[in-house]
Amino acid sequence: MRIICCRFGKKFNQWHVDNLKHMIDNYSGLKYDSFEVIENDIYGNWYNKLQMYDKFRDGENLYFDLDVVIFNKLPNLVRKNFTLLDDSWWREPAHTPLNSSIVSWTGDVSHIWDKFKSKEQFYLKKYHKGSDEFYFKETFYLTYDKVCPSIKDHIYEKPKDYSIATLGQMHHLQEEGWSGWYSDYFTSLK
Amino acid sequence: MLKICTVYFKGFYTPDYVSKLYRSLKRNSTVPFEFICLSDTDVEADLVLPYNHHSAIKKHWHKLKFFSPQFGGQKPGDEIIVMDIDQVITNNVDDLLNHPVEDNELITYGQWWDNKLKLNGGFYKFKSGSLKSIWDDFSLNPHFWQLHYYNTGVVHHKYYGEQNYVNWKVQQHNIKLTLTPKEWLGRHTDNTMDNVELNKIYSKKFNTDYMILDDVNEKIKVVHFTGVGKTIHEHKDNFIKKHWL
Repeated sequence: MRIICCRFGKKFNQWHVDNLKHMIDNYSGLKYDSFEVIENDIYGNWYNKLQMYDKFRDGENLYFDLDVVIFNKLPNLVRKNFTLLDDSWWREPAHTPLNSSIVSWTGDVSHIWDKFKSKEQFYLKKYHKGSDEFYFKETFYLTYDKVCPSIKDHIYEKPKDYSIATLGQMHHLQEEGWSGWYSDYFTSLK
Repeated sequence: MLKICTVYFKGFYTPDYVSKLYRSLKRNSTVPFEFICLSDTDVEADLVLPYNHHSAIKKHWHKLKFFSPQFGGQKPGDEIIVMDIDQVITNNVDDLLNHPVEDNELITYGQWWDNKLKLNGGFYKFKSGSLKSIWDDFSLNPHFWQLHYYNTGVVHHKYYGEQNYVNWKVQQHNIKLTLTPKEWLGRHTDNTMDNVELNKIYSKKFNTDYMILDDVNEKIKVVHFTGVGKTIHEHKDNFIKKHWL
């Protein structure tokens, strides 16, 4: 099984990659064969993530955003079909209910990349709010059950029934100076 | 433990503003405190925390982080003071730093000049965590709040309005707002005529000498340099040479 993450720009740095690996290795219970980092910054935004469908066309694949906290053994998140999160159980769907903080597929889903690349300027303009709207409107997908809440609803208390949470807008919690239940799971900032 | 918290980022001011505030607070008080600065460069403080220019949070809005009990090593029972760095301490500030504060209460400078807002963002004192809603509400949508007061014409500079936001949250959450004695605060500008006028108002209002002549009126503890782009280091006044060290 392949673990994938994506790092580009200045918002995230090597610490964030190391931190994800630290949480996966120490808390998730996941056994994997390779840990892959997409670093090619083509678009300057999260459409860069779509490169993984071109690059990884075989085997089991499990992608995580860097702004998550993994604090317990994860349920089986590896999927045969292309699967991502549906957030509509904890937030208003807005322009898309989907969230690609966790994505999994087995084998070849490069048709997603091919479709995007075939009219990339059109899609970048049409779905300018982010790639999750592209998935919503342009792909066939399955969604996970309720596996990943937002930390915004659990800032002061660790969620009991989950083992991973997305930080969403709260990236600052990964900065030096913040200490909460989540900090115990991050690797040292120094 | 009392924590005095500040924010510095490159722009109008220089890192020595932080040093001078820190040293003058030490020089003019007997109160033990930890001095914390959230900064984008090396500054003189007991604890320096990184100011992230790539964060969604901009400029003075970083001050709001100190309302979170999870920031800056806060412990239950700590008392938190957040201060702007554009201030000159001119007298003993024990009564200011030790000002009693309760849960759900915000202490701020009493102002004697006309101001639309009751509170002054130059000084906030509160019990750690008791006003966490101010940060928690903001952190749900920093993009919106940071431009809200600019977009609605309340302020005229992008990313200003942090005081307006805190003022709104104080009302919304029924937070008790307590003002320090108004005569404790001096105000200085870069306009001579404005300063003359402010001196007259202060003198009349508190039945005392002028606010600032060669030195500062003994009733005053702090002189705040208010307004966008108002700096201390460009002033040549004697009282600044004497007290801003």
